[in-house]
Amino acid sequence: MTTLVIDQVTRTFPARQGHAPTRALEPVDLSIGNNDFVTILGPSGCGKSTLLRIVAGLDHPTSGKVLLDGHEVKGPGADRGMVFQSYTLFPWLTVRENIAFGLRERGVPEGKRNAVADRFIQQIGLKGFENHWPKQLSGGMQQRCAIARALANDPKILLLDEPFGALDNQTRVLMQEMLLGIWERDQKTVLFVTHDIEEAIFLGSRVLVMSARPGRIKADIKIDLPHPRSYKIKTSPEFVALKERLVEEIRAEALKVAAEA
Amino acid sequence: MLFVAAWSLATFGGYVSKTFLADPLTMLREGWDLLVKFGFLYDIGMTVWRVVGGFVLAAAIAVPLGLLMGAYKPIEAFLEPFVSFARYLPASAFIPLLILWAGIGELQKLLIIFIGSVFQIILMITVTVGNTRRDLVEAAYTLGASDRGIIGRVLLPSAAPDIAEILRLVLGWAWTYVIVAELIGSSSGIGHMITDSQALLNTGQIIFGIIVIGLIGLISDFLFKAFNAWLFPWKLA
Repeated sequence: MTTLVIDQVTRTFPARQGHAPTRALEPVDLSIGNNDFVTILGPSGCGKSTLLRIVAGLDHPTSGKVLLDGHEVKGPGADRGMVFQSYTLFPWLTVRENIAFGLRERGVPEGKRNAVADRFIQQIGLKGFENHWPKQLSGGMQQRCAIARALANDPKILLLDEPFGALDNQTRVLMQEMLLGIWERDQKTVLFVTHDIEEAIFLGSRVLVMSARPGRIKADIKIDLPHPRSYKIKTSPEFVALKERLVEEIRAEALKVAAEA
Repeated sequence: MLFVAAWSLATFGGYVSKTFLADPLTMLREGWDLLVKFGFLYDIGMTVWRVVGGFVLAAAIAVPLGLLMGAYKPIEAFLEPFVSFARYLPASAFIPLLILWAGIGELQKLLIIFIGSVFQIILMITVTVGNTRRDLVEAAYTLGASDRGIIGRVLLPSAAPDIAEILRLVLGWAWTYVIVAELIGSSSGIGHMITDSQALLNTGQIIFGIIVIGLIGLISDFLFKAFNAWLFPWKLA
């Protein structure tokens, strides 16, 4: 069982040429575990990606600390898999080699890592594309591949930074179902950043709403919808009620951002 | 085509004295003589070997150094001022100095190519590697890559096609340096043949030499391109 503790984490970006320093994150306290699927919902620029990058070790908190199973996070590592919004497959590696990248870095022999990669290729429905270059894949396929690449490393926690943000609506819905299917089967702690309210409810077992900059956790809402979930749940009264509530929460924050601009 | 036509008109038409510019047919005949009677093939071989030798030497040192400078800012900050300065030193100005140091043997020729190429390659590769997509590097870190893994399995493959392109470009410049090096204090090579022919007022041979240089450049360029396409199929897919 994995526990991620975010302890009084703040982040202030230093001043630049006449601009005041930017406070991206107010002290954030958070504890995540239980193989929860936690979605972080917030208006753009609220610091939700910054928080995720700090957990990943790609950015450092100005104060406070992040603990993963009691160990302080000092930098990026294989125990926290990350999927980015931009397409980050290595263009010089094939689908199979991309998925096996983390295993190769750890020195897993080729036969074994190919077996693992092929299992994930099967899971994400990319059989037949093992030897394709990323360039030859659609955006949705690339992101599926990126999720598989992160999962193939068997991380303690999976971090996703608006992974479906650049995809068209139909593809996005299919990707959500696929990701949820993997999570329902494999049970893993997931931290998923999005600004899409429906996505946050549909995927999450817990939705955290962040306030406008400087970001802090404004609401922590448990989503008790039953699993396995299908797309049909999106029209159920419970789902709609949750959506209404979150729309109000987010709207208040978006208005604040608009007033500042 | 137009070039050859204008050349023929000027020479066959008698507008230009044969002493200064041979006509195309004379040029071809002189060229044939060069090849069969005067062992010009040996000269060509010497020149190619010098270019390739000096260039490979420069690349062997410049590629790793450029990679390190692109990967580590402190190394770049430390070396960049010197390399930038050295890049502007004309290789041909080193010829007298190098003759003093290394004589007029092969080493001196190789060193001129080396000096002319190495700093250019270093700087261009540093910039290319420094421009590697940040998100790819971050993705590799979150997959557990070490700093060495990042350099060997992200920065290098990511920059490799551009590095190959840089090498192709600089190889072209190396051809200029080798001829200059051979014009002075040399006993073989295409440049040496050209100076010899100048003493004999044989413009046909000079022009033939220049054309041979152009052809070899064209061939090496073509080979480089074909090699790159074979090496980096992911770029073309």
